Amino acid sequence: MPTDSARRQTNRERLAARRATEAAARAHAQRRHRTVLGGMVAALAVLGALVVVIVVQNHRTATATNAAAPANADGTVIAVGSADAKVTVDLYEDFQCPNCKAFEAESGSTLAKLVADGTVRARYHGMAFLDSSANDQYSTRALNAAAVVLDAGGTDAFMTFHDLLFANQPAESGSGLTDEQLAEYAGQAGATGSEVLAHIKALTYGDWVKTATDQASKDGVTGTPTVLVAGQKLSDISAAGLTAAVSAAAAG
Amino acid sequence: MRRNVVVPWLATVARLVLGGVFLVAGALKLPDPAAAVRAVRAYQLLPEPAVAPVAFGLPVIEIAVGLALVLGVFVRTAAIASAVLLVVFLVGVGSAWARGLQIDCGCFGNGGQVAAGETAYPLEVLRDLGLLLLALGLAWRPASRFALGVPSSDPKEYSRAH
Repeated sequence: MPTDSARRQTNRERLAARRATEAAARAHAQRRHRTVLGGMVAALAVLGALVVVIVVQNHRTATATNAAAPANADGTVIAVGSADAKVTVDLYEDFQCPNCKAFEAESGSTLAKLVADGTVRARYHGMAFLDSSANDQYSTRALNAAAVVLDAGGTDAFMTFHDLLFANQPAESGSGLTDEQLAEYAGQAGATGSEVLAHIKALTYGDWVKTATDQASKDGVTGTPTVLVAGQKLSDISAAGLTAAVSAAAAG
Repeated sequence: MRRNVVVPWLATVARLVLGGVFLVAGALKLPDPAAAVRAVRAYQLLPEPAVAPVAFGLPVIEIAVGLALVLGVFVRTAAIASAVLLVVFLVGVGSAWARGLQIDCGCFGNGGQVAAGETAYPLEVLRDLGLLLLALGLAWRPASRFALGVPSSDPKEYSRAH
């Protein structure tokens, strides 16, 4: 038979145990509450960040509706050769792309002959996706300079400038050609005058370059050089491969 | 008992690796939004109006998930979210591979363009599968050391682990 004091002791223990359980449950509920609240705040913060970033990035990629476009271009395309040529060749190139330099070195003169004899109309689509802070946005500066040359000197000057830039392409990890060097090549290509350097420095056709690069991506181009002969992607871009594809397209 | 000592440490490593990768991947996509748009478009999976919002929004989600994992808050939720993201990436990369597209996954910035024959699909798939395993492991056992928060779904699991 338990004594009175012993019974009081167990009752006290039982009470204490119950209180501890209740306190734990309360703490658990509080923690839950805090977690739910924290989750809601975090979700709202992520949502807010989403909206802000989408708005800011939209603004950063927007081009002016009245953006300057160079004369002698067909939209973002620079077409060279006879308009009645039998075969159209589309070329997507970035002035900083080493594989484009290799393609130009191997097949450029073959293409030039095909254009000169009226077989081919070449459509140059410029792209600028190899910009970096190391090369001081060279892809964009080079394509803008090409647009300046096209505007001032026409398609012949553009072709000369195009060939000069590939022949003198700076290393991909290097610092790029300076604006002054670009202006010097522009002068050699036949685009002279003080405003040439000014337009090169001011990136007058910067928005046109953005639009051209975006258009290439919309055309489904995912690498450079991309060469299309009569709309078909050319896998063998050697001089022989180009000649064969053009002959086949001209015959068909 | 030894398992209860080791598992939280493994979870911490998983959190830091997975969270670190997501943080870096998200941050690298922010400086050049035009390239992000081209990278998403290169998959040729989304209709044009959806391309830009996905390209601009994805890095925010990646950074949010990465931050949560690195800090150790909402770990289970973040682990499940990262598993979902990784499955989406795997589907994207796998379908690009199957369709013979010549693209770079654009996982860590860049424009999605590569020269012919420079694709790295097997490596990209393996990396994503490895990260997916980490994410699933964390979703299963989110309790870890050096975490700011407590796994909300099961606080007992946490106290048992300590």
